[in-house]
Amino acid sequence: MTDAVLRTDGLTKRFGELTAVDSVSLTVEEGEFRSVIGPNGAGKTTTFNLITGALTPSDGIVQFKGQDITTLPPHERVARGLGRSFQITNVFSGLTVRENVRVAAQSVNRDDINTWTALFQDKDDFESINAQTDEILEQIGLAARADEPAETLAYGDQRRLEIGLVLATDPDLVMLDEPTAGMSSEETQATMDLISDVLADQSLMLIEHDIDLVMRVSDEITVLTRGQELASGTPEEIANSEDVRDAYLGGARK
Amino acid sequence: MMTEHTDDSADSSVQSDTSRRKFLAAAGATSAFALAGCGDGSSGGTDTVTVASLNPISGNYSSLGPSQVQGARLAVDQINGNDNYDFEFELVEGDTETESGAAQAEAQRVVQQEGAEFVFGAISSSVALALNDFASSSEFVYFPGGAAVPVTGSSCNEWVFRFETNTAQIAEAISAYTVNNLGSNVWFHYADYAYGESVYNRVKSRMQDADSDFNEVGVTTSELGSSNYGSYISQISNSDADTVVLGMTGGDEVNFTNQAADQGLIDEMAVVGPTATFQSIRAGTGANSVGKYGGVRYVPSLETGDNQQFVESYMDAEGSTPDNFARVGYDSIRLMAKGMNEAGSTNPGDVRDALEGGTFQTVLGDITLREGDHQATNPTWMAEIVEGDGDLPAVELLEKVESEDTLPPASELGCDL
Amino acid sequence: MVLADFVEQLLNGLTVGMVYVLLAAGLSVIFGVMNVINFSHGELFALGAYFALSITNPLGAETGFWVALVAAPLIVGVIGVGIERLTIRPLYGRNPLYHILLTFGLVLVINDLVRLVWGTEQQQLVVPNFLTQPVAVFGIQLSLYNYFMIGFAAILAAGTWVLLNKTKYGMIIRAGSQDREMVRNVGIDIDRYYTLVFGVGAALAAVAGIVLGGYQNVNTTMGNSVIIPAFVVVVLGGLGSFRGAVFGGLLVGVVQTLMRAYNGTVLADLGEFTLTVPNMEGLTVFLLMIGVLLVKPQGLFGTRGEESEGGEGEILVGGDGGLLNESTKFKLGVVAVALLAIAPFALLVTGQRYYVTVLNEILIWAIFALSLDIVMGYTGLVPLGHTMFYGVGAYAAALVMLHYTSSVFLVLGAAILICAALAWIVGALSIRVSGVYFAMITLAFAELLYSAVFKFEFTGGSDGLLGFEAMMGIAGIGVPLSDIELLVLGYEIEQRIVFYYFALLLGVLSFLVARRIMNAPFGSVLQSIRESQERAKFIGYDVTKYKRRAFVLSGGVAGLSGGLLAVSPTTFIISPDQTLYWIHSGEVIVLTLLGGMGTLYGPMLGAGAFLGLEEVLSGYTDQWRMVIGSIFILFVLFVPRGLVSVPSLVAERVDRVQNEGDPPVNIDDPEVNPDD
Repeated sequence: MTDAVLRTDGLTKRFGELTAVDSVSLTVEEGEFRSVIGPNGAGKTTTFNLITGALTPSDGIVQFKGQDITTLPPHERVARGLGRSFQITNVFSGLTVRENVRVAAQSVNRDDINTWTALFQDKDDFESINAQTDEILEQIGLAARADEPAETLAYGDQRRLEIGLVLATDPDLVMLDEPTAGMSSEETQATMDLISDVLADQSLMLIEHDIDLVMRVSDEITVLTRGQELASGTPEEIANSEDVRDAYLGGARK
Repeated sequence: MMTEHTDDSADSSVQSDTSRRKFLAAAGATSAFALAGCGDGSSGGTDTVTVASLNPISGNYSSLGPSQVQGARLAVDQINGNDNYDFEFELVEGDTETESGAAQAEAQRVVQQEGAEFVFGAISSSVALALNDFASSSEFVYFPGGAAVPVTGSSCNEWVFRFETNTAQIAEAISAYTVNNLGSNVWFHYADYAYGESVYNRVKSRMQDADSDFNEVGVTTSELGSSNYGSYISQISNSDADTVVLGMTGGDEVNFTNQAADQGLIDEMAVVGPTATFQSIRAGTGANSVGKYGGVRYVPSLETGDNQQFVESYMDAEGSTPDNFARVGYDSIRLMAKGMNEAGSTNPGDVRDALEGGTFQTVLGDITLREGDHQATNPTWMAEIVEGDGDLPAVELLEKVESEDTLPPASELGCDL
Repeated sequence: MVLADFVEQLLNGLTVGMVYVLLAAGLSVIFGVMNVINFSHGELFALGAYFALSITNPLGAETGFWVALVAAPLIVGVIGVGIERLTIRPLYGRNPLYHILLTFGLVLVINDLVRLVWGTEQQQLVVPNFLTQPVAVFGIQLSLYNYFMIGFAAILAAGTWVLLNKTKYGMIIRAGSQDREMVRNVGIDIDRYYTLVFGVGAALAAVAGIVLGGYQNVNTTMGNSVIIPAFVVVVLGGLGSFRGAVFGGLLVGVVQTLMRAYNGTVLADLGEFTLTVPNMEGLTVFLLMIGVLLVKPQGLFGTRGEESEGGEGEILVGGDGGLLNESTKFKLGVVAVALLAIAPFALLVTGQRYYVTVLNEILIWAIFALSLDIVMGYTGLVPLGHTMFYGVGAYAAALVMLHYTSSVFLVLGAAILICAALAWIVGALSIRVSGVYFAMITLAFAELLYSAVFKFEFTGGSDGLLGFEAMMGIAGIGVPLSDIELLVLGYEIEQRIVFYYFALLLGVLSFLVARRIMNAPFGSVLQSIRESQERAKFIGYDVTKYKRRAFVLSGGVAGLSGGLLAVSPTTFIISPDQTLYWIHSGEVIVLTLLGGMGTLYGPMLGAGAFLGLEEVLSGYTDQWRMVIGSIFILFVLFVPRGLVSVPSLVAERVDRVQNEGDPPVNIDDPEVNPDD
């Protein structure tokens, strides 16, 4: 139990009459790569939003590293080590690549900044932040293009930057929302390589509907359908589950 | 075009110089326009004096401003065509937009850029108060158009002279007559700014003096520039008042009168407006005005001073009879010129000293710019608005207050120059 | 009798309310469907009344009025269609900010055309005689025209309701106001319907103008005076909701009238205490609006949720496209300041002293624009009521001078602190509502303060504050500004010039401090918020807190500019219209955009260009407003990144001509295109 990074208990979200997420309880262990799959409307994205704090649950709790974070706003969850990426690339397109990473690194190095320096010290004067920024730029392979505006990057590079932003906040658990949506198979492979490369030390939770991908990379898989947890287990267990096959895999794989 | 010079006696118009003080050549009196000496025609030069006219051409009082300018223009034409004056006036005009901030900017333009040292204008008393301050700090002679008492009362200063009839003078004409003849249960409705408050304060105090039965039934105020008076009219109509006094003018009074007539208020009780007889208000309200009572600052039919010559010249120039604002514009400019002749100088400081306490001939007869507050001692009248020959209702004068009786002592109005 | 009085007042309220309904119906649907904040709606309302004047004058009231009631709205409707086609259409999908700039330009152009064609004097629109008779029923005495206004407007409102609810066109328009994307996705070209909506909205506004013109009068400021209440109605009822517009319009009309009629009325006498209706006329509707927005941002009948992320279109930050490097910019800045430093001498030598006053005004507005850029250009918040800080700063400074001290340093310090505190309060209440709701709630606060200064004795009511003077010094040591007179090389250095250098110093300092802050960690977060609020939140920043702090900073700087206005030796009066009128909120947005926002120096440049141009143009032509309005329109269409982007636009053009031998067809940057 103490090893669990993330635990939800009876997580429920109702929109009026509709119950989008219905009493979902799941646990992500330290270092685990957990995927959540399910057909459209299964409640994947809502679950994701409840964990990251974009939505507040109607019922149930979210625990992160043993602490209750159910009602915390998103930025405080980030401060505690819960990072997320976006489905649609979401970087600061008008800023340079370096500044994108730097401002993310700045958010977790606030001890180095006091009220005075926050207002009047040049943002590039903070050694620890700069060091972390350089390190991340190297890791995501964009060091050479650090001074270009983010909006000039190719799509694949923007995804790398996106992951760099998450990494810069020094997360213990990274929530990934369909990170390969709209990518070719080569791009998908490159992105997954990047994830397993740079996010090797982090616990991961992936929201995905590409079932092949999920089967390949996950340690544990949770299947949602109509807001409820249908099954959980290793890729093998899921692949062999009658329920899953009936409810989802059969249809999805054609 | 002009068959006759209306201003044939610029010099003889100075009736009294008992209070004239010799200008002491103090430091700073270095105007480029200063004339040599101070005698009659000792200077044959034709100095050009820049005179500014700041009037509400847009905004709430846009219906009143243009005739102020027309009066001023006529005066400038006559002065420039008259050999009795050794100087020429150049008139620069500005729009106050009936708003203090805009007026302040325009005043700065005409004074600083155009070099005007003599300024006339403003109708809104709020605007006039702002220009008062500017006149004092920039040391130019200012003839305001606003009627609120404080302009030459609590906010007076040595640079400000007013030929416009003030509210205290009008209150003298309407207050006693109203309580004694029209009804003593009075409702006051006024626009919430300097002029409106001034009407309320003066008229109420004069009514209290005139009749112990005076009873203030109620008071309502609207914002300057309001256009919907329906709810006030309902309130007044449903009260026990038999008389309502309006502390408003311009577009506000036009709107109020039209809506009051449509709701039947004017048939129901006596509606008294200190400015109800203004030509622009009668024109804006037409038959709706008939039955209203009002104070009179000026009507073209007056036989006072050189008024009939003024009316004739104005008719020639503009094709219509002059209204109150035209005569204020006309004589404010003429008073500046007469002051210059009297001083023998076009230096604002000299002219100021010549004007102070001086008596001059105007369209309202001989008036004095009182030493204590620089207010012109104009006569006033009480009148009723009756049906006219055409669309424009006529003004029937009921009672006159002589020029020397209209004003309380300056100190009572808050000025002590 | 008491009941009859009440009903009479209620009918008075409904009379005005119905005019608001007609105005707001168009405004609301235009906003709901097209996402356009249309400031020019008030001018279309005025145009209706003016066309009616031109029709009734030759034909006479008895027939002319009825002809006008049909013909004038048709003319205005056609004009509306023209406006939509030529100017608004190219801007769909852009941030509503650009519609403010555009429609503000339209206000100036239309208003100036009205002045040119019909003159500035107030005029009477005559109505048929029988309509102006008083009618008394059950002790309720009103003009027949009141009943006519209520009835006629009700018929039109009902007609519009049928059009919206019972026809195919209406269905599509209503669907569009709820979710444009969905309508597009089902294959309907919603853009075609926009033209129709705009035309009908304009025609309804014109009807409102005629009906009200007949009751009151016709003047050039009538458009300005109704547009803000109309916005209140739209926001109260819910953007895009016709039902909301009807309900909101009647509510505002009735509440306004009843507050006016019953202020000071004793409600209950409880021994020692008497409960009276407070004198809140003018304030009530804005308090109502703020209350509704805080509780239910989408309005009473609004169905549209909060804007989805990115749904508002991008805000275009100014810039030179990297054409000038940092050291060139620094040199240019030094040259600019040096030129400003010698400007007064040049003016003295050439005898153009007056322009020192103009320069002072420019410096004050440059600081004001800078303050707006801090929130608008760096966090993407668009406050439509920014003049509240300029105005409160000016009032605070004047009051401190009148009652406490005349030391400029203390006076300006007080103005800054009071405005920062005000910004903190307003920000705490309003920053959590997003986008256009934030714009509207700040507008409501500004209007609340504008109405409040008329009410209070200590603010001087509509007369404003007079009789204050600043002193260059502190703690009694120093000289009044008016006593400062120096002779340099035979030229008199007057107080205006002393003030000029003081303001220039403060302007340069404000800019340097603001730039420092924007390049520091705090500023870098603000910029990331502007780029993507969502992303900033999920890398760990409390976006609301940062925005609120930026707003406080901005409020303080704006307070400085207002304070400077008050201490300027050429300011004798601080009046409500000069400082708190909503037009100034629009103007400062316009000149910030004009200069190029998100650059700090761009808006300051914009202030200089805008006020300088105004000064020069007004010397040459009476129609300068029209010229300036047209410039706004051209800018928003062709130079959306502002003056500072002109060098890069030129370079780009030259580039393309050289490379392709063909001038570019589309001057817009690619980013300008809508992203929805």
